[in-house]
Amino acid sequence: MSATETFYDVIRRQGITRRNFSKFCSLTAASMGLGATGASQVAHALETNPRVPVIWMHGLECTCCSESFIRSAHPLVKDVVLSMISLDYDDTIMAAAGHQADAILQETRQKYKGKFILAVEGNPPLNEDGMFCIDGGRPFVEKLKEMAADAMAVIAWGSCASWGCVQAAKPNPTHAVPIDKVITDKPIIKVPGCPPIAEVMTGVITFVNTFGRLPELDRQGRPLMFYSQRIHDKCYRRPHFDAGQFVEEWDDENARKGFCLYKMGCKGPTTYNACSTVRWNDGVSFPIQSGHGCIGCSEDGFWDKGPFYERLSNIHQFGIEANADKIGIAATAAVVGAMAIHAGITAVGRLRANGKPHDTPPSAPQK
Amino acid sequence: MTRLVVGPFNRVEGDLELTLDIEEGRVAEARVATTLYRGFEQILVGRPAHDALTIAPRICGICSVSQSLAAAAALREISGVMPPPNGELAANLVHAAENIADHLSHFYLFFMPDFARAEYAGKPWHAEIAARFKATEGTAAREMLPARARLLHIMGLLAGKWPHSLALQPGGVTRALDLGGKMRLLAILGDFRAFAEKSLFGAPLEDIAALETPAQLRAYAEKKADFPAFLRLAGDLSLDKLGRCALPLMSFGGYYGSEGPLFQAGVVDPAGAVKKMGRIGEQVAASYFADSAEDPFRAHTLPDMERIGAYSFAKAPRLDKNPAETGAVARQAVAGQKLVRALLQNSGGSHVLARVVARVVEIAQVTIAAESWARALNVRESFCETAPPLASGAAIGKVEAARGALGHWVSVERGHIRAYQIIAPTTWNFSPRDAAGVPGPLEQALVGVETGALGAKAAAIQHVVRSFDPCMVCTAH
Repeated sequence: MSATETFYDVIRRQGITRRNFSKFCSLTAASMGLGATGASQVAHALETNPRVPVIWMHGLECTCCSESFIRSAHPLVKDVVLSMISLDYDDTIMAAAGHQADAILQETRQKYKGKFILAVEGNPPLNEDGMFCIDGGRPFVEKLKEMAADAMAVIAWGSCASWGCVQAAKPNPTHAVPIDKVITDKPIIKVPGCPPIAEVMTGVITFVNTFGRLPELDRQGRPLMFYSQRIHDKCYRRPHFDAGQFVEEWDDENARKGFCLYKMGCKGPTTYNACSTVRWNDGVSFPIQSGHGCIGCSEDGFWDKGPFYERLSNIHQFGIEANADKIGIAATAAVVGAMAIHAGITAVGRLRANGKPHDTPPSAPQK
Repeated sequence: MTRLVVGPFNRVEGDLELTLDIEEGRVAEARVATTLYRGFEQILVGRPAHDALTIAPRICGICSVSQSLAAAAALREISGVMPPPNGELAANLVHAAENIADHLSHFYLFFMPDFARAEYAGKPWHAEIAARFKATEGTAAREMLPARARLLHIMGLLAGKWPHSLALQPGGVTRALDLGGKMRLLAILGDFRAFAEKSLFGAPLEDIAALETPAQLRAYAEKKADFPAFLRLAGDLSLDKLGRCALPLMSFGGYYGSEGPLFQAGVVDPAGAVKKMGRIGEQVAASYFADSAEDPFRAHTLPDMERIGAYSFAKAPRLDKNPAETGAVARQAVAGQKLVRALLQNSGGSHVLARVVARVVEIAQVTIAAESWARALNVRESFCETAPPLASGAAIGKVEAARGALGHWVSVERGHIRAYQIIAPTTWNFSPRDAAGVPGPLEQALVGVETGALGAKAAAIQHVVRSFDPCMVCTAH
């Protein structure tokens, strides 16, 4: 594997047809909102630019991000996985095991020093000196810092790496923290969601390969092309919200008519993600289409924002639009203000003062 | 004696570390450590009971439907809500899609690539297997992944998104399918059948489900497809002698419906004799946890990193104080599947071959059942009954995940979770030693495995570990 190899070289070697490659480029360009010439731009870049190596590491996590990723819509995505990631290092699907695997990790790190993208799934727990997540005999947090030091940039896959997610839910027994608490000197692209949408993940990686730089990020570090709109903005049930037509119980008459799920606890109006446009499982559906409200799994702190099933009974029919807009405007302001901020200056992580872990948390109920 | 540490393990779900004591080229003792802990049992306490439906599935991105269904089953029992037939059928379909997808990943991505290793280069079957299964390069994954992704459109249709679906509720599913949806469902299952019959089995699904004797299995192994190719090399490598484990086999039963479960619950010994279910308890003698009651309803899970003799974040689940094996092989043995029973009887215990055969045969059985569930959906009827508000109570939510028996022991007080304990399939199979020093199933299965000159790198070790299809993030949660 030569450092100057292109993405296109790799996939052609694996027997992917030119036609399939072109389709992948058009789909990706469309999902990134690149416009009419986007596809050829993507194709040209993938054919000529050196492939950007990706090292994918797993911390405290559930592997849902990997699981989402390997089912991305276009058939070529599996080859994106095979050709771009596992050639380097991914501990879920690679061939090697044990110390051999660790050796590959170190070798890749040396070989591509300062040039690789470190993709992190999961996060480091800090309690007990990081002993709640041991990877190859060492705390994951140490390995993470070491790898990040030589990376060009870091991708935080999913809500774990981006925000902390369920293991950081109260009382956060292991003191799990988002990766920007321990990686403070590298640009971090946050791709939140539990898990993130597959096409969003491939979109981010392809963007980096195409343009040789990071996509534009909002103030929270998320790529604007996928996280600039609320689920609510593009929700196909939005007309029912505007008309004040709501589901009152699971699978009631209103549910059959496709009414809005806001009263069932839907958090679409406050959640920034591409679910209502890109959708899930090859664009088949998304949670709201399955008759269940959005729980806001791509938002910071969603795990402690329950109860998720408390019905909202105090909506006043004529005040709804105002309510939703208030919610929306407040949340949008945070993003719009940050439109032009580029990745390079968003590495705002703060090293915890002295890394002192919390004491063993109490077992008493918090509510 | 040499002591070897094997880890990190690749191509398993999560983090795993083995310590092997080798004597004269064979494993004399094995210890399996789960090296990752998040604390779900602490996190769930105090939350509104129904929020378990959004928090608990996030234990695992591979078996999240099983976790959802276990939480929903416990809440269902506490609330007394009865799902309508459509709700049960739809939940079965979603669960079947996840379980089949897991079995496919295991066979194609995790298990088979080990036979493409260089140490088998002298074998007559090596070239064929390497071309087909070599990790990240073989041709098989390229056929399987799209078929698997297509199968998982069922998740889109019935559950919205996956992993971490939200549609699965105590009273059924929130998604009511229309006629078009039902037709799409049948089309997806039809496409999957086509892939399975052509690439995996080289035979109709019904023929696979009808395999009853080892002799029939040997005759079938001559066919040209991925499963027969495995059977041929399994014969050559005597995989029925590898990774032996003669423990009771336990299943919680799977895919419930109006006519009872597709796979019944129970316990059998390797000879096939039915045993009673017995008491389930968890011990912490070799686990990084503070002392606690064994009964999951009275237990708590609090880390204690200073515990003397501890080496794993997994507790040691015991059935009447004894370890038990769970998984597809146990599910099939308990359900009376004749081929699996015969394979176990011949060897006096489970082994690598039986574990893999049970899993792959199950793909055929469950696909056939899924077609009938899809046809039975009545799109004019309800899919979900609304559960009444939860007061107080306690229940065990039991399901069969792809990897075996999964239980959620849930106590609710005034609508909030008072206690929540989870025992996952791999907690059983990759259990550490208990208070009496008795090793868990994998620890027993590794004893006697020949490592030869390769030591910890020997493929045999990988075969035995992977034959259980471990899910490490579920194990310690």
